[in-house]
Amino acid sequence: MKSMNGKIYKLFLGLVVIVMSYSCSDDFESLPVEDFTSEFVFSTTDSLGIQAKKYLNSVYSQIEYGHNRIDQSFFNSGDYLDAATDDAISSSLDQDNAVLRLATGRYTASSRVKDEMKWGYYYKGIRSSSTFITSIDRVPLRGTVMGATGPIPLKSAWKAEARFIRALHYFELVKRYGGVPLVGDEPRQLGDDLELPRNTFEESINYIVGELDSVQDSLRVRPIANPASDGHVVTKGAALALKTRVLLYAASPLFNGGNINSENELTGYTNYDPLRWKAASDAARKFMDELTYYSLIPDFSDVFITEGNSEVIFFRQGSENSSVELHNGPVGFTAPNDGVGRTSPTQNFVETFPLLDGKEIGDTTSVYRFDPLNPYDNRDPRLDLTVLHNNSLWLNKQLETFQGGLNNPKAAIQKTKTSYYLRKFMGDFERTDNYSNVSHDWIMFRYAEILLNFAEAENEYSGPTNEVYQVLQDLRTRAGIEPGDNSMYGLQGNMTQDQMREAIHKERRLEMAFEEQRYWDIRRWKIADEVYSQVFQGLVISQSGPVLNYNIVDVLNPTFEERRYLYPIPYEEVINNDNMVQNPGW
Amino acid sequence: MKKLIFIVLFTCFNSIFAQTINLEGKVSSDTGEALFGGNIFIEGTSRGTMTDEDGRFQIAVRQGEILTFSFIGFVTATKTVENGDFMELTLATDRGSLDEVMVVGYGETKRITNTGAVSSIKAEEIKYVPVSSVQNTLSGRLPGFFSQQRSGQPGRDASDFFIRGVSSLNAGGNRPLIIVDDVQYTYDQLSQINVNEIESISILKDASTTAVYGIKGANGVLVIKTRRGKLGKPKINVRVERGIQTPVRSPDFLDSYHTALLVNEAYENDGLQPQFSENDLELFRTGEDPYGHPNVSWYDAVFKDFAFQDNANIDISGGTDRLKYFVSGGAFSQNGLVKDFSDPLNEVNNNYFYRRFNYRANLDFDVTNSLSLRLDVTSRFGNINEPRGQNVVSEIYDFSKIHPYSSPFMNPNGTYSYAYDTQDNLPTINARIANGGYNRIRRTDSNILFGVTQDFNSLIEGLSVTGRLAYSSVEENSRQVFRSSFPTYHYSSENDSYNIDPRGNYAYGTYAVLGNLNVSTKNLNLQAFLNYDKSFNDDHNFNFLFLYNRQSSGAQANVPANFEGYTAKINYNYKEKFLLDLNAAYNGTDRFGKDNRFGLFPAIGAGYNISKEDFFHNSFPFIDLLKIKGSYGVVGSDITFGNRYLYQQVYQSGGGYPFGESQTTYPTVYEGSLGNPNVTWEKARKFNIGLDGNMFEDKLSFDINYFYDYRFDQLVTREDVPQILGIGISPNNIAETSNQGFDGQIGYQNTYGELQFNTNLVFSYARNKVLFKAEAQQAYPWLTETGQQIGQPFGYTNIGFYSEDDIASLNDGNADNDAAVPLSDVPVQAGDLKYKDLNEDGVINNFDQSPIGKPNLPTTTLGWTLGFNYKGFSARVLFQGAFDYSFSVIGTGIEPFKSQFQPLHLQRWTPQTAETAEFPRLTSNPSTINSSAAYMSDFWLVDAWYVRLKSVDISYQLPDNWIPFDINNVRLYVNAYNLFTVTSYVKYQQDPEISTNTAGDSYFNQKVVNLGLQVGF
Repeated sequence: MKSMNGKIYKLFLGLVVIVMSYSCSDDFESLPVEDFTSEFVFSTTDSLGIQAKKYLNSVYSQIEYGHNRIDQSFFNSGDYLDAATDDAISSSLDQDNAVLRLATGRYTASSRVKDEMKWGYYYKGIRSSSTFITSIDRVPLRGTVMGATGPIPLKSAWKAEARFIRALHYFELVKRYGGVPLVGDEPRQLGDDLELPRNTFEESINYIVGELDSVQDSLRVRPIANPASDGHVVTKGAALALKTRVLLYAASPLFNGGNINSENELTGYTNYDPLRWKAASDAARKFMDELTYYSLIPDFSDVFITEGNSEVIFFRQGSENSSVELHNGPVGFTAPNDGVGRTSPTQNFVETFPLLDGKEIGDTTSVYRFDPLNPYDNRDPRLDLTVLHNNSLWLNKQLETFQGGLNNPKAAIQKTKTSYYLRKFMGDFERTDNYSNVSHDWIMFRYAEILLNFAEAENEYSGPTNEVYQVLQDLRTRAGIEPGDNSMYGLQGNMTQDQMREAIHKERRLEMAFEEQRYWDIRRWKIADEVYSQVFQGLVISQSGPVLNYNIVDVLNPTFEERRYLYPIPYEEVINNDNMVQNPGW
Repeated sequence: MKKLIFIVLFTCFNSIFAQTINLEGKVSSDTGEALFGGNIFIEGTSRGTMTDEDGRFQIAVRQGEILTFSFIGFVTATKTVENGDFMELTLATDRGSLDEVMVVGYGETKRITNTGAVSSIKAEEIKYVPVSSVQNTLSGRLPGFFSQQRSGQPGRDASDFFIRGVSSLNAGGNRPLIIVDDVQYTYDQLSQINVNEIESISILKDASTTAVYGIKGANGVLVIKTRRGKLGKPKINVRVERGIQTPVRSPDFLDSYHTALLVNEAYENDGLQPQFSENDLELFRTGEDPYGHPNVSWYDAVFKDFAFQDNANIDISGGTDRLKYFVSGGAFSQNGLVKDFSDPLNEVNNNYFYRRFNYRANLDFDVTNSLSLRLDVTSRFGNINEPRGQNVVSEIYDFSKIHPYSSPFMNPNGTYSYAYDTQDNLPTINARIANGGYNRIRRTDSNILFGVTQDFNSLIEGLSVTGRLAYSSVEENSRQVFRSSFPTYHYSSENDSYNIDPRGNYAYGTYAVLGNLNVSTKNLNLQAFLNYDKSFNDDHNFNFLFLYNRQSSGAQANVPANFEGYTAKINYNYKEKFLLDLNAAYNGTDRFGKDNRFGLFPAIGAGYNISKEDFFHNSFPFIDLLKIKGSYGVVGSDITFGNRYLYQQVYQSGGGYPFGESQTTYPTVYEGSLGNPNVTWEKARKFNIGLDGNMFEDKLSFDINYFYDYRFDQLVTREDVPQILGIGISPNNIAETSNQGFDGQIGYQNTYGELQFNTNLVFSYARNKVLFKAEAQQAYPWLTETGQQIGQPFGYTNIGFYSEDDIASLNDGNADNDAAVPLSDVPVQAGDLKYKDLNEDGVINNFDQSPIGKPNLPTTTLGWTLGFNYKGFSARVLFQGAFDYSFSVIGTGIEPFKSQFQPLHLQRWTPQTAETAEFPRLTSNPSTINSSAAYMSDFWLVDAWYVRLKSVDISYQLPDNWIPFDINNVRLYVNAYNLFTVTSYVKYQQDPEISTNTAGDSYFNQKVVNLGLQVGF
């Protein structure tokens, strides 16, 4: 019995040992190998920068894509920012949609229009750029790319690209909020001082411009060696283009002389200085003189759908698809061509387009007469390339946007609210039966804007010089406006500075429509109070027999108060940071 | 010795009159089990006998003598011997017994020597509740147990439960630890367990009892012990049941006529043309045009009145000196309430259902006198079926998808129709159920536990060593069968024509099949412990345990998470009078950084059994037990959220983006949330003091505890970090809460002749408070969450409706008497909900939201059990109630034009009913101030309570002489679950346990009435 017990003890001991050793020696890693850290991404042995490139891609991916950007439900099926201006309204049935809130001022510091009033988003972009800028140094990156004055190391180019993107994010903040905290190069950690005060407007602008100046010669130039993979990269052209826009904004009345809180250095300059217009004009002139690669391409509609054309300076890459067509195209077609008509351009916008010879509607000196029963005949050709209206040819059909027409049915669905649909950015589907995939890049900078920036700044500083005239004439030539007997393309000779300003503003509105320009332009020109005090109108076209009656109806009563020239800084941000000063009026 | 007694007894008989009877009898429990090994004495003598394995006994008695039946765990009963030679007796379970054994962490404790807060229940009491999930049977039965059943869907109806409420702000961090036979289970695994396999259930609530789990103990522990074989002949029990289920509450929607009236009224309010003409309304009212002007109650069209559920169990148990066994099998089937729309041409079952098969074999093998082995094997195979891609209840509610007048159930020619007057033009719900296919989830849950115990009594008396290895795995995969296209038509009764829907499918599409692996988890647990159990002079009683525990668990392909630790526990008592428990665990998980991994969690418990003092016993002889107990200690919780390794900053692979002019997508990598190098477990300091007592010969018993828990180092994400940081941050150990309350039970039992009666009142109260949560400083004091309860709702304060005078004043251009209004493009109108402008700035906005109502988890729950036994009959009833909580319904649950029109909408505000209205004016505009989703207010929040007849169980034990010889017992029973509900809310048509701030459109909670038969061999 005793020996039996002994055996049992041994057996028991053996079992315990086996069990313990089995379960203690698991063959797994102590940390998940699929989790990687900064050391792996910015590797000291990765001379091709394979992982760092992926990080740079994510820095690029935070540049916004503007087509149907403003939306609360999901990516890029919302509204154009321009639908919050007098150019268009949203067709959405949602009474609380974001652009409607922007146009009617239904927001406060604590209930902001999140899709547009971003704050943390841009700081996130700034941080990821800074992380790249400070970490890429340890990667032994080889290779060079071609800059303006010869080869530049790839590492310098990448770093400069990230700095450009960071400057772009800062500019997005500044145009929304005025001066903002400049957080510097080193990404901050928890425990670091995060209660940074806002820098002044002037400091913010100077920082952005300084960054652009210091990176411009480390960037590639167009034409890019390998557009298939690098067509999207930041180039010297992009840096100079952003600089012209930054300087133009800084010189504009809202910040230069028209500061809404005249002693407040955060909301603009505290004085007026005409040299700021000169700086903007010089920057644009430098662009036009130095970067001769860029030009206006002959066909206005090709600008947006032809990749790599010489007018495009910088863009956020999109895919080949029909999403712009489907989101904004007319309803009433059969799948897969049935759009949901999200954007309804206004009558106010349509009326801005001149006649074919460049003269205003009602100008008796025009060779054309506006016909209220055929209101779209003999107009600036850009009208048909920007807006679809009743009788427009589209998908091989004449659009019917009259009440009860095929493209404006009576059913309570999302459809045009103004009898107009958007046409711009779409492929040339006038004479095809079906949509096909089209390149839908979001073009942030194109040469036409440089010309307009130049004309505006130059007119403000030097008055309506020949150079200014020339720019407008170039744009109108390309648009297809007839030169007229005097080759003035409908422009008056010897305009005053004010008349020229009005002409430039109008040209900018037509040329740059839906490109996220006008929303900011009416603010920096400080005319938002006028613009939003007019009623936004649309058409109701009723059919009686063969005759169509065009009736103008009100579609939206926008509002404006002065505090809305700048967005409110997020309420939590002011609460969490004792040094954060809210914008006036919020 | 036995022989000697027998001879003595025999001699006694002979010496007295010959009036003796040779009495035979049988003793069984109130649940029908034969009771083995109980003592039977003749009062006033020393004569007696014991029952055998079948509960039978034989004794020679004289008429008029009184027999006393004394069985451990049962109420002692007496019975006078009358005529007849067969006596049958049913004993009631003793709820107040001093020797009652309760299962706790790594062992058992007796009630008399326990110093902690433990509530315990025998599975016998819940075995007959006709539901599939064990946690649904516990509400109202265990003090300190809080539960909410959020859905009644077959297979997904397990309640959420908490022990002593919640105390962590970390949303997932309040779930109790679940321990089955000393091995950790998940919530899902728990809900699969067949109640028939369970012996007893305890919940551990204080530090003294949970400290052995250390880093996992802070949320309380639910401990389950399964049944094991006992010495004796094989006993076979077979149980079959069939029940019918009906919804506890089903919604009632308005018919086409009334809906159309209200739609017209809303349009008129919004300045729009009415949608329906007088003629339309007349046709809706008369129903003369059933295809052109349909009137379909989609609820009645889609749901059945009731559905069946079936349950069958068999278990075999017994044992010899060397081998004891318990083997059981079960099958449970629960059908769904949706009608059968399946296509006669195929057998695609698109209804809800749940089927579960399970088995368990618990074997104990005594290899030698000192070495024993144990092998437990169990598996559960579950099948959940549901219509693919649709929640049928939510479909019924959703006004945007279908109206009562959208389309007929079927077109006159037998084709399906579609909701042609809605934006999506969806086919009718019956068409989509019939063709949409199903999603079937198949799940296999397996556990194996191997254990070996060697006692070293020969070396040191009372010493034993045990090793255990437990393995569990879950494999879950799903099969989806669906068809995406099928034809539907709109029938026009005017010109008798059919129009195909806009999708233009003229023919049925093919079925497609999709398979997914959803879950694949493995869990390996190793335990080794040393146990020392010894009494010195019967005065000093020691129990000592030292445990090493290691666990490694992984899901899918992930690296397993590891847990490791040591536990020590010393229980000492002096003559069961002075009690002392010292418990401690030193353990940790690899979820935290190397320096923050292991923590020590000590706890102390002490008790004083004053009733064991002579002076006390002499002064209060009617008090059988009075014990004061208290405990204090620290326990932890390692539940984290977000990135698994919070101390690490991990870079993440993001979505691809197309870069360059080619359409190639390039990969991206981005910086993940900042790591928090100091992250560690949450901690709770728990204090408990209680009073435990029995009086009047154990007829009255009570156990009452007060507790105060301070929970700190809670993991929450700081809300006070400026966004200019530019990156997400990992949670920090910063938040603090307190939680205090009391819970307990008071029971009473007595026997009146042959009637046995018992009742038990269970009560729980727990109220928490946020002490610190690093919230941003708020603009107004009423916006602050600190100081409120966890989950406190915030919203507007309703002060009636805007009156016509209010609106007139707003429009008169004089701002003096203007009511505050929201910034909205839809101007407020008379009949809109009016809210209090807390900061008096004339605008209703976020700053006017303050704490309204109460959190959704009740602070107070009650349970009241009543039991009767009379001869073979027994009845048991449980009333359960929850009090002091709030809930609301939003969106498709209540709002007009989002929800179907409901009877409440008839009580809307109109100029005529301004005084009596119970609902704001109707509007088709979805985001006005009247929307509960956009403007949550106390108008929408119901201050709730409910009382339910939670379960009823009536059974009849057939007398032995009615049943054939080799059958041991036969029991017939009827039982019910959720039989009726009384509640404070009338506003909504949902069950009072739904999740708040949702549409409340989860599957209806079920009422079950069940008929069963149990046969024992």
